[in-house]
Amino acid sequence: MEPSLLARLRRRDPASLKAVVDDNARRLYRAARGMGCGRDEADDLVQEVFVTFLNGLDRFEGRAEVRTWLFGILHHKIQERRRMQAREELHDSIDEIFESRFDARGNWTRPPVEPDREAASREAGAAIRDCLDGLSPLQRAVFQLRQVEDLSAAEVGKILGQTITHVGVLLHRARTRLRACLDGKGWTSIP
Amino acid sequence: MMTCKDVSLLLSTGQLDDAPLSRRLAVRLHLALCRHCTAFRRQLERLARAARAAGREFDREPTSDFESKVGKRLESEG
Repeated sequence: MEPSLLARLRRRDPASLKAVVDDNARRLYRAARGMGCGRDEADDLVQEVFVTFLNGLDRFEGRAEVRTWLFGILHHKIQERRRMQAREELHDSIDEIFESRFDARGNWTRPPVEPDREAASREAGAAIRDCLDGLSPLQRAVFQLRQVEDLSAAEVGKILGQTITHVGVLLHRARTRLRACLDGKGWTSIP
Repeated sequence: MMTCKDVSLLLSTGQLDDAPLSRRLAVRLHLALCRHCTAFRRQLERLARAARAAGREFDREPTSDFESKVGKRLESEG
C-alpha cells in the first residue's frame, strides 16, 4: 500500500475511506457468498471486515495491498464463524479420481471430450453453486479467489496463509471435485 | 517429454504461468498435438466461466445503498 494512502486512511480521511469501500465492498460480498455465507451473513460480514480494517489501521505496516488485507480479514472472520481450521488434509480421496484417469505412462485412460455445447450462463451458474457445497472450506476459498475474483496464486496464498504450491493443490482438488460433481449432473461431457 | 498427466496437472493447479519458459513451451507444444489435453483445458475454461456466472448472480443481491450503509457503519465506529 502507498504510504500516502495509509497516512490518509489513518487520519480517517472520508474520501479515502469511501474509495476503499467503493472499490471492495461488493467484491467482498460476492466472495463471502461464494464461500457459502447466506445473504444476511455476507452483508453483516462485509461491515465487520471494514470495521476491523478501520480499527487495525494504526497497527498495519502497509506491506500488503488493501485488497489483500481486506480479503484476509474476511477469510479469518468466516473461519471464526465456522470454527474451521485453515489446514487441509494431506490426503484427499479426490486425488485418486484424478490419478485413475491416467495409465502408468501418464496417458489418458478415459480421455476428456470437448464440451459439446455452451450452457446458458444462468444455468451453468446454478449448477456450479450446488457443487460448491461439496468442497472443503479451503478448497472453496481458493476456487472463489482464483477463479471468480481472478487473484494470483501469490495473493491468495497471502490471504489464506498458504504456500503458493499448496494453493495450486487446493485449486486442483477443487476443480477435480467440481468436474466430478457437474458430470454427475450431466452438465459436462466428462466420460 | 511431458505426459498428458504432467500437462493436465500443471493446467489444473493453475501454475502454468509461473512455470519456467521451457516448461510453458513444452506444454504449448503438447497441447498443439494432443486433442485430449486440449479438451481438458477447455473443460477447465468452461468451469471458470460457470463460476464467474455464479458470481454475477451474487452481484445482483446487495442493494444500491450497500456502500453507503457500510460507510455509515464506519462513521459510527469513529
